[in-house]
Amino acid sequence: MQQKSSKQPRKAAPKQASASFKKKESIFSFQLSVAKLPVLIVFFLLTWLWAGWYYGSVFYISREYSLWVADPRIMNFVLNQPYGILRYIGRAMLLLYKFPWLGGLLLALMLTAGSWLTDYCLRLRGSWRAIQYVPSLLYMAVVTWHGLDIFFEARTGFIFGIPLLALIVLLICALIIRSFSRKPAPAFFRNPEGETVRQHFLQLGVVLVVMAAIVGFDMWKRPYVRVICRLLDMEYRQDWVGIQKLARANSTMSNRPMACSYAIALVQTGQIAERMYDIRLDYDSLHVHGMDGMHNNASVLYVPEGNYYAGFLESSQHACMEQMVMTGPTIRLLKLQIKCALMREEWELAEKYLAILRRVPFESAFVKKYEPMVRRLDLVNADKEMALIRLTEPIHDSFENQYQQPLFMGYNLLLVEGRSSQALTNSLCVCLYTKLMPQFIERLEPIVGTTPSSIIMDGILLAENKQPGLSQHFSGLNFRQPQLQTFLRNMQPYMKDRAGYAYELFPKYKGYYPYYYFFGNLKATKKGYTSLSSSSSGVN
Amino acid sequence: MMRHKVLYTVVSVLFVLVGCKPKAELPSQFAETNSEVQIYPDYQGVVVPPNIAPLNFIVRDSAATAFVAHLQGKGHELLAAASKNGVVKMDSAEWRALLQASKGGDVSVDVYAERDEGWVHFKPYKFSVAQEPIDTFVSYRLIEPGYELYRQLGIYQRNLTTFDEVPIYENNRQYNEGENHCINCHNFRMGSTESMLFHVRSNHSGTVIVQDGKARKVQFKDSTIIASGVYPSWHPTENLVAFSTNKTGQVFHLYSPEKIEVMDERSDLLLYDVTKNEVSHIIRTTYDLETFPCWSPDGRTLYYCSTYVKPLLIPELPDSTITQQLLLKYDSVRYNLMSIPFDPKTRAFGQPKMEVEATTENKSISVPRVSPDGRYVLYTKGDYGQFHIWHISSDLWVKDLQTEENYPLTEANSDDVDSFHSWSSNGRWFVFSSRRMDHNYTRLFVAYFDEQGRAHKPFVIPQEDPEWNVLLLKSYNVPELSRDAVHISPQALHQCIYETEAENATYKPNPTAIIKLDGMTGASPKKP
Repeated sequence: MQQKSSKQPRKAAPKQASASFKKKESIFSFQLSVAKLPVLIVFFLLTWLWAGWYYGSVFYISREYSLWVADPRIMNFVLNQPYGILRYIGRAMLLLYKFPWLGGLLLALMLTAGSWLTDYCLRLRGSWRAIQYVPSLLYMAVVTWHGLDIFFEARTGFIFGIPLLALIVLLICALIIRSFSRKPAPAFFRNPEGETVRQHFLQLGVVLVVMAAIVGFDMWKRPYVRVICRLLDMEYRQDWVGIQKLARANSTMSNRPMACSYAIALVQTGQIAERMYDIRLDYDSLHVHGMDGMHNNASVLYVPEGNYYAGFLESSQHACMEQMVMTGPTIRLLKLQIKCALMREEWELAEKYLAILRRVPFESAFVKKYEPMVRRLDLVNADKEMALIRLTEPIHDSFENQYQQPLFMGYNLLLVEGRSSQALTNSLCVCLYTKLMPQFIERLEPIVGTTPSSIIMDGILLAENKQPGLSQHFSGLNFRQPQLQTFLRNMQPYMKDRAGYAYELFPKYKGYYPYYYFFGNLKATKKGYTSLSSSSSGVN
Repeated sequence: MMRHKVLYTVVSVLFVLVGCKPKAELPSQFAETNSEVQIYPDYQGVVVPPNIAPLNFIVRDSAATAFVAHLQGKGHELLAAASKNGVVKMDSAEWRALLQASKGGDVSVDVYAERDEGWVHFKPYKFSVAQEPIDTFVSYRLIEPGYELYRQLGIYQRNLTTFDEVPIYENNRQYNEGENHCINCHNFRMGSTESMLFHVRSNHSGTVIVQDGKARKVQFKDSTIIASGVYPSWHPTENLVAFSTNKTGQVFHLYSPEKIEVMDERSDLLLYDVTKNEVSHIIRTTYDLETFPCWSPDGRTLYYCSTYVKPLLIPELPDSTITQQLLLKYDSVRYNLMSIPFDPKTRAFGQPKMEVEATTENKSISVPRVSPDGRYVLYTKGDYGQFHIWHISSDLWVKDLQTEENYPLTEANSDDVDSFHSWSSNGRWFVFSSRRMDHNYTRLFVAYFDEQGRAHKPFVIPQEDPEWNVLLLKSYNVPELSRDAVHISPQALHQCIYETEAENATYKPNPTAIIKLDGMTGASPKKP
């Protein structure tokens, strides 16, 4: 009925009609025409929005945690897996997510085509047409359910591989049906013949409700997935300001990958001793699983980068290699390996990884930036990021095992000498983060007589319990002493159940180190020296 | 496997269809240039066996768009061309004919490059073709360089006369907590694959022994044995294997050109009787660490490396801290080369003898391998430790057992790691692993060992696509040359590993074994 009326020519509006009425009418007619768009078109647009914008960062990071080159020898680690060819093709398609809108377009087209073919193959009629969207919506739901798991262990070939396989199967079915029944294909760009308004809106309702439910589930149960991926994306682009903004905007959300990105951004912008505790550092559990299917602490997402930015280049290489062993090479690991190799003057190694990365489509910008640095230490040291990392490299060799694991931001318990004041500041901050006051006190000597940054000042005031009179060696602390006393007084009622009250108190004391000292990161372990990892057999 | 072969074939055919094979034709006009041609890998001035596969190479000249290589030996010549990528691939039949004709002589290589201004001719280079062939096969493990974890790894066999590489055994391709296993330390008896072994670690663990085409899995569990069998050496005449048994760990450097340190906390030597499935100690000590056993070709002497660690330990501290104490002094742990006589008839061992006392010069020795004629012991010498595959200071040395002279194989060595090695049956070649190409990924190099006991400039084993040396993200590990191919199928090995339980070898003490559980043995250097 509405369809018919919409085709009727509109009556000219009386000249005396008010402007607001005209506006309302035009909005209403626009909404109506949008609502009457073929559901398949609406579905396509919404899916594109979901895959390109809403979940685009997740797929973008999936691409970074994947690798595809045409050479099947290099890709043998994927091809020799079950469904190897499917994974191989799926990884190739994922490359388009270099540009999320483009990758999203492809995925949306595939899911829409899948729905269209489902309609054709199942000969759906009337209200049952809503069923055609079920496989695609199911795919989106499964992807959302898995969250970080879609790329965590580099099973990235399935992101496009599964819809591709479904599409091929549906296409074959459709061809067979077409051969035997000559059934005409359903319309793509217009509403099907004979579709009632009720049927139209039922389909539209199903699509909208289910997609809203998927997005709602993501926001409710997996809110960290998009945040972590956006942070990682910014980290790869060295958008340190963006990381800080996003992390602070989600300050009550707490997970280690976010904490690591945030800490890196603060170090890179010289704010680690000022803003570290602006986010909650209690580390909620994430929905992430290792290859063994067991719950994982997601250290894979941040340890290589954390080590790199902490100046522990060998440890970063170590972490990269361990991941390359387990998941095969990925774009992200190759890039980090290249940077580490350049900084360690392992020119041939850098060339090796560059030779592979050069074969990955859309990676020419990275290659173009770093290739000229091979055998040019001056260019390496002139790079802003690398120059800053140089300042925090250790001076003396020791073994990783003698450090507290993981080396998130460098748990440099053995580091007593640094290359720069930056290294000392980082070291002081790490001591405060790990709440190891004796080590903190040991490292204060070089800044005696100065006015330390706010977090270090609070650390000194807290450390006075262990070393009375400590604060007298620094200026500017008197102003913060009353604040600490007030805090300690106010906190007395909460001290009996610190873990229980931590979340509740966070908004009030965000950014204040004494809050973190007493209420934050209570699950943190204080492992010191760890022994040689031993085995009773040969080693690789 | 078949599925993948089909895929590779399809993709390869596509590559061939897309790319055109460049035409090999000598340029009629060219300009001479004094510059030397830059080729990868470096095959200039090397000595090659007459049965080696074509030494395909890449010419590096960014200004050129085409290349022609002209190889000339004794009355034979070979032309090969390359497009802009510079990859020169030679025809196998022509290559074989060229090498056969050039035995004992030189092959000269003229490379021409087409630049904007026309063709240029680089200064020619030569390589020599020895009379003696190398053993046809080399077996190795392919694994990511070092580190703690493993996933997809396998032992492979490469035919050195062609480019064929086949798996001897690959572990589980897909991660599976209940199936994951590591494989290592494959070994043959005197270059023959009739007797072979390798270890399986983690799930399905044991030592797989292959004889008469059949595989079985054994283990050495006894309260007196500190760990599984590790570094093996087949006795040349008896059905015996000498093993080291090592309690090993590894640590990771934080700021050093070297990345990993692999250390033993304890190690002893074992003798395993394959026929009787009996194991006994050769040497069992607490503070002397013995490792890398190797039989002489007559089977009457067992060479090994040994260190005495007690001086590095603080007497007041308990033995449970040995690992941590050694860790703090890792660069003071040094091994000497020792030998111990053996009577194959009575199976009695004599008293250990110092062969090379490296510790006096603050050096350390590992991986002794005796030449097939029994005259030379080829070993690696580094500044400390025994896992020289991660020590940049590691170089190849030999001891001439006739003259007692020790000297480095200077021509074969590099500035980087040169380590694990294996002799060809005729003693004229040895293959070894080296990190010289990129300081991280080991590649296999072959060196000629002449009658005077001198090594010549080595060459990396040729690949059909020479760039594969760059692209391969695995290290070549434990190269072992053999005259014949391994005949047992991967499926049979899979069946043995997955479906059989390891038989425990019976521990039968050897009355001549050296057992000193809290003191020195004759293997230790004398203390003042």
